Amino acid sequence: MAANPELKQKVEEVLRENTVLLFMKGTPEMPRCGFSMRVVGVLEQLGVEYGAIDVLPILDPLREVTGEISDWRTFPQLYVGGELVGGCDIVEEMFESGELAGLVGAEQPEEAEAPGPQAPADPQQSPPLQVDT
Amino acid sequence: MADLPEIERMIAAALPGAEVEVLDETGGGDHLRANVRAPQFAGLSRIEQHRLVKNAVQARFDDGSIHALSVSTEPSESSR
Repeated sequence: MAANPELKQKVEEVLRENTVLLFMKGTPEMPRCGFSMRVVGVLEQLGVEYGAIDVLPILDPLREVTGEISDWRTFPQLYVGGELVGGCDIVEEMFESGELAGLVGAEQPEEAEAPGPQAPADPQQSPPLQVDT
Repeated sequence: MADLPEIERMIAAALPGAEVEVLDETGGGDHLRANVRAPQFAGLSRIEQHRLVKNAVQARFDDGSIHALSVSTEPSESSR
């Protein structure tokens, strides 16, 4: 199934407008998936500004779009500068090694430990973005 | 509910020569972890390595038998 061209165009636009962009299930305030919550936790610890898109209302069409854009069809997905960084595993690994802080131009927190499955997210920023269909 | 041995075979078939271990992380049968060592990973970025693993089992995401797959990858012959 080919991606919806209008949705693809919107996604590309949002990627251009947001240096750090997270596609997630739920919102930073109310994540609906543990993996999405963990990526939010990492971004909050880095204190970096990011845009967040809730993929749940448009899950299947969006899968097709990210499949075409970056050959990746599961969520969460973190993009920096329009390039896919990865999902939860890669984001946590890169956070702990300090690579992610370097990539987004943030300062590495002193105790950089990925929040892991149990940690609650404590989002303070990032108004949700909408991609209408 | 995923068939773990089948998932292992799918990854192994996509990456000949790989050592593949697939675990059920939560006991629920749909949150899996794949630990993969493969010669094909040499010289690839982490995201490219993960992509090879995830794409190998995409069909099981599509039919809903896997909800989430955590991936750990390592080249089987260190290039450093």
